[in-house]
This record gives sequence, C-alpha cells and structure tokens, in this order.
Amino acid sequence: MSARGAAALLLDGHWASEAAGEGHAVFNAEGIRCANCARSIDAALKRLQGVRSVDVNVVNGRVSVAWASTETSLPAILRTVAALGFRPLPLAGESAAAIRRDERRTSYKRIGFAGLGSMQVMMYAGGLYTGAFDGIEPRYAEFLKLTCLLFATPVLFYSGAPILRGAVLDLRNRVLGMDVTVSIALLLAYAASVINTLRGAGEVYFDSVVMFVFLLLLGRHAEMNSRHQAASVSDALARALPARVTRLDGSTGAATTVTLAEVRIGDRLRVGTGQVVPVDAELEDAEALLDEALVTGESIAQRKWHGEPLLGGSINVGAALTLRVTRLPAESTLHSIVRLLERAQSERPRLGIAAQRMASWFIVRLLILTVFVALAWVWFDSSRVLPAVLAVLVAACPCALSLATPVAIAVATSRLARLGVLVTRADAVEGLAKVDTLVLDKTGTLTAGRARLLDVEADPRLGRDAALRIAAALEAESRHPVAAALREAAGAVSPAEGATEWASAGVEGRVDGRRFRLGRRDWVAELAVDQGPNVWRPARGDIVLGDESGSIAAFTIADELRADARPTADSLRALGLELQIASGDREAAVRGAAAQLGIDIARGRLRPEQKLDIVRGLQARGRRVLMVGDGINDGPVLAAADVSAAMSRGSGIAHAASDLLLLRDSLAALPASIRVARRTLAVMSQNLRWAAAYNLAAVPVAALGFMPPWIAALGMSLSSLVVVLNAQRIGRTREAEA
Amino acid sequence: MSSIYLLIPLSVVLIGVGIWAFFWAVNSGQFDDLDQPGREILDDADEAASGENTDSRAPPRR
Repeated sequence: MSARGAAALLLDGHWASEAAGEGHAVFNAEGIRCANCARSIDAALKRLQGVRSVDVNVVNGRVSVAWASTETSLPAILRTVAALGFRPLPLAGESAAAIRRDERRTSYKRIGFAGLGSMQVMMYAGGLYTGAFDGIEPRYAEFLKLTCLLFATPVLFYSGAPILRGAVLDLRNRVLGMDVTVSIALLLAYAASVINTLRGAGEVYFDSVVMFVFLLLLGRHAEMNSRHQAASVSDALARALPARVTRLDGSTGAATTVTLAEVRIGDRLRVGTGQVVPVDAELEDAEALLDEALVTGESIAQRKWHGEPLLGGSINVGAALTLRVTRLPAESTLHSIVRLLERAQSERPRLGIAAQRMASWFIVRLLILTVFVALAWVWFDSSRVLPAVLAVLVAACPCALSLATPVAIAVATSRLARLGVLVTRADAVEGLAKVDTLVLDKTGTLTAGRARLLDVEADPRLGRDAALRIAAALEAESRHPVAAALREAAGAVSPAEGATEWASAGVEGRVDGRRFRLGRRDWVAELAVDQGPNVWRPARGDIVLGDESGSIAAFTIADELRADARPTADSLRALGLELQIASGDREAAVRGAAAQLGIDIARGRLRPEQKLDIVRGLQARGRRVLMVGDGINDGPVLAAADVSAAMSRGSGIAHAASDLLLLRDSLAALPASIRVARRTLAVMSQNLRWAAAYNLAAVPVAALGFMPPWIAALGMSLSSLVVVLNAQRIGRTREAEA
Repeated sequence: MSSIYLLIPLSVVLIGVGIWAFFWAVNSGQFDDLDQPGREILDDADEAASGENTDSRAPPRR
C-alpha cells in the first residue's frame, strides 16, 4: 500500500512542489487518531536527514513536510510514514480517486467473501446444532467443525484484516480503541474454537466469529461510502480543471500549449467548444455561451459579453473563445472552493470527538470489569468462563457510540451538497439546526444584483452625459451591481486612474486628472474641502458623484429582488425564524425590499462594523444568528455570526468567512437546509441515546452469563448498523419535505 | 451419512468458484458505479459517444 501511495503522490506533481532545492508536500496520513500518533510521525520524520520542518495535524490527519531536495526525497518521507503504520494518501486528484476506487473494491471483496463464508459456516453450524439435539456421530461432527475452520480462518484473517490491523495500530500507539476490544473478542473466540476442534471436545464459535466480521464490515462499508461521497465533491471540483491550456502569444498571437501552472495574470488563453475555462478570467471576444453548472449549480447556459468575468471551471458551450486571465489558478474561485471544502472535511464536530473520548474511557473500565467477571466465573463455575467473558467483551463494545455523530454529519453534508449547499465547517450543521434569527444582506443576496439606472440628476454646468461618463469610468473595474448598471447606461468608457473601492462607501479615482468620489452622500462630501452655499445639491438620487468642490451629480439605481426571495422568506418564517435585513445600501432601497418581503426589521447604510454590532447585539440577547451575505463588507459579520452562508458569486472574503456556501447563488436552498440540519441533530441525539442505552443494558446481562456470545455479537453489530441506517434517513429526505 | 464426505467438499469447490467469480466481477469494475448505468438509458443524447466528453477530465453532468 505504501509504495502505491508514494507513486500516486508523485504522479500528482502539483501536491508536492519543489523549488530552489526545497521540497514541500501536504498529504493525508490515514490512521492518525491521537496526539501520540502525531508525535510518533513528527519524531520519525525529524530523525530523517534533510527534513526541515514537520507539521502533523491530529484533527484532520494531515501532514505537512518541508525538506532539502539534495538530502532526501518524497518517497523516503512517505516510506517513513508508511513504516509507522500510517498510509500516506494524496489530498485529491486522479490518483486519490483511484485509491478510493481500490478501497471500494477491496471492501466489496472482503464483504462478499465474509458473506459467502458466513453462509457456509452457518450451514455447517446448523448441522452441528441439530446434531447436538438429535445425536450425531462424533466423526461427522469433527468433519463439520473442520470445514467450519476451513472457512472461518480466511474470513477472520482476510475479511477481518482491517479490524485486526486497526487494533495493532491502536496498541502500538497506546490507545484503547474499539478495534482492540472487538479483536480480543474475535481472537479469543477463534482460538477457543480451534483448540476445541483439535482436541475434539467442547463448544466451537466459528459461526459467531464469521457473522461478527460480516456485520462489522457492513457498518464500515457504510461509513466508507459516506466518507467517499463527501470526498468526491471536492475531487469533482479539482478534476474540473484541464492540466494543459492553449496560450496565445501577446504579440504574434501564435498558440502554444502550456501547463496550467505556467499561466500568469494577463495571459490570453484560447478555450475551444466543450472545453473548460481553466481560471477566472475576462472575456475578450464580443460574446460567449458558458455552462456554469459545476461551479454554481446553475443548469442553464449563461450568455457573457465582452469584458465580463468568466468563472474557472465553467464549460464553453458556444463557439471557441479567447479570454484574458484575471486571477492565478491557485487563487481562482474553484480553488478557493476546494480549499474551503478540504478544511471542512477534515474538521470533526466537537460532539463527535467528545463521544470518541467517552468511548476510550469506557473501554478501560470495561477491560477491568471483564477481568473481574472472568475471575468471578472461575470461582463460581469454571466451565462458563469463556462464554461469559466473550459476551461481556462484545456486548460492551462502544462501536455504535463512536459512530453516532460522525456518520450523521457525513450523510447530512452530502445531502446538503445535493441541495447546492457546500458545508465548509463540520459544526455548521449543528449550528444551522439551532438558528433562530436570520440576518440578510440585501445587495447581491436578496437581489440578483442586476441593477438598473433609473434616473440621473446632474449639475447643469456639467451635464447629464458627462456625469454618467465619469461615474462609469470610476466603476469600470468594480464588481458591484451598481457599477454594472452605470456601465450599461454609459456604454464603453476608458477606466479611471487609480480607482479604489471602499467597503460600504463607494469608489474613488481620477478621471481626466480630476479626483472624484462616487458613493454614499456623506462619504463623497468628505472629499470637498470647502462647501459654499452656492454648491449644487441633488434632490433625489442616492448615489452621489462629487469632486473636491462638492457634489456634481446623483444617480437613482434600483435592483430587483430575486424571484424566489418572497417564497423563501415565507418558508423561513414558517420554520420559526425571525428575519432581519442589514445592508450597506441606502435606506429607501432597503425599506422597499423589506416591505416586499414582509420583513419588519431592516436597516440600511450600515458599515461593516455596524453590521457586526447588530449581530453581536442579537447574540448578547441569546439569539442564534444565521448571517447570509456576499460582499467584502459582509466579511466580518459572516465571521462573527453563529453560522454564516455566502453566495457562491460573492467575494472571496465572504467565502472564507462563511460556514456554508450557496452554490446555486440563491436563497431558495436555505429552508430545506435548515430542515435537513434539524433532522440531523435529531438523528444524532437518537443515535447517541440508543447506543448508550444498548451498552448499559447489554453489559450486565452478559456479565451475569445470560447472553451467549453469538447473541452479544449480533446485538453489537446490529446496534452499529441501526446507528448507520438511522443516519441514512437524513440522506433520504425528499426534496419536497427537506 | 457418509455421502457428506463427498457433498461437503463439493460445496466447498462450488463456493470457491462463486468467490472467484465475485472477485473477478469486482476487479473488472462491475461494482465501481452502481448508480449511473441505471440512469444512462434515460439519457436521450448520446453524449458519451461523442469525442469531447469521453475525456476523463470533462466534469460530470448534473
């Protein structure tokens, strides 16, 4: 396995980078469960010649290494990690998918083998049971037991290998995980059966052993599926980008094929029909048709015009197009989404970790109890020691307890992904379920961001067209919807010099050598050093254009609400949420939107810090706040809210600060997501209660000797299976009820 | 009763053949995707047959 992992990692060159004699790689080490594991990896790697720095993250199982390429190499590092019993895996990419495929195949083979083997063993065991009642000649019984042994051995050591290996790893790292108890039970039962078969007397437990292995593998398979489902989302995103692109030479226009890593900002790339746009870019051609399904979930192809931004990962479904790169591949929208997702996948919910800790504490006491039970039975009735000890070990196995939370979260995450909601922090699901107040940004969130210029007032000395031209020049580079409306109205203009965008205020820049500000009235007025009484003042417009002498024009721009905003608001209220709007936009527009949506509490003209204050105020009153936003100005408030969601077309800052990403760029998925989250929380607590109740009830019965080992084995496997299947109910929530 | 000395080894051989067949099926990729092939017959467009989409890097359709 390790050699294969190492080769795979090398093939995926972009996960390991080498520059100026120093190599750096980040990979997953499968099997890291505790601080001890992390310490042993850290120590072993630091002993290697040439390793400069090592960072092992216990929480996400990720290892980051830097080394001097003259003294050591990546395969050597991976071999060291593998020698400790941890399997190095690349984070994503083709080879990661191949490794997942192999893992699935191996799992199927193990389950299939265990299933067929159990059926055979059960059949022979059936003969033995019948024989025990109706009488059987010893030589036939011996023959049946030997046949059982023939099947049980490969089932235990081939199909059950992951369980036994997990136990060895746990012991080596001085942890008492559930694999340890299960393995002790399996090996004890198997050894006792082999001894009894060979000496020709006593009970055999081959049927318990094989059935136990089979049921445990089913539980593990379901867990693996949940894990793969989540992983395949991020892999699909990473795989969406082509490895090679066609670059057009700046002066000659000659086409050369280069790797994606060589692309620089400002490069012109050619994207053929059916090909994927490799990076975030601007369209150079007059128009193009793009399918953004993978990036945003939008199923209808989008028509783009000259200069409009193209999202990396969208597919060119129209004629071949030329684009100009605006962001490096590593900074493109798609990559930031992948990074966010990877962070989310590696973080485990606190509740899950608490359950894990509880399980390990449980096991220590359990082993002590088992010794006492064994001693008690030796004194009481020595013929029943083995069955009683086996039953206690198996009945008390806290598998279900450890599975309860992580399985529910995994299923919920993939269910939400199908709704078009990417969970980027694992505890967001729990937070989302408990939310009671929703604070919404307006522009870009409630509205589609398709603003239209309705009215222009201008100082008569300047004139309407000149004012519009200056405004459009200032906004030439801005992504704000207002800018689009101004540009649309003004037509083509040359951009202003040094245009700078100020969050919640406006734009400042130079046009024809004069300094202008465009934006909020008070902010624009700050630019004017001296405002005489004869200065022109706008009457109606909200977006003011001014220079150092004062305001010179004003624009009225309105954006339309998204079509699904009203029904979404209604269903959110039906879920018992209180809705509020906190916007940086002008009061009138905010109040208009709020009235249409039936929202009472709406505030406009808020700066980022004021938005933050509103949410902190709500939290101080004990509210659990879900914040939805998209802009740079929403960044701080998104980070402060209990749970936050960002529009996928919003700014990178909003993405980074959020727990959830609305991939379809619409609020419509929110009510369904909250329902899924609430259901998840309910399933999680059902699971925890069920698992604890099972262990508490089963252990005393087993200790008193009332439980044959095979019933204990069945009960334990079924309790885990109940937990896993119960979690699957979250995934099966239909679209309508979700 | 002594017939079990023949019948049980026979069943062992048969189960061996069954396991071999199952392993062969798994290794040849028949269990790799259990969802998509079922839906494929509902797709009208023969997209899979056209050149561009057989590229392994082409993103999956929604």
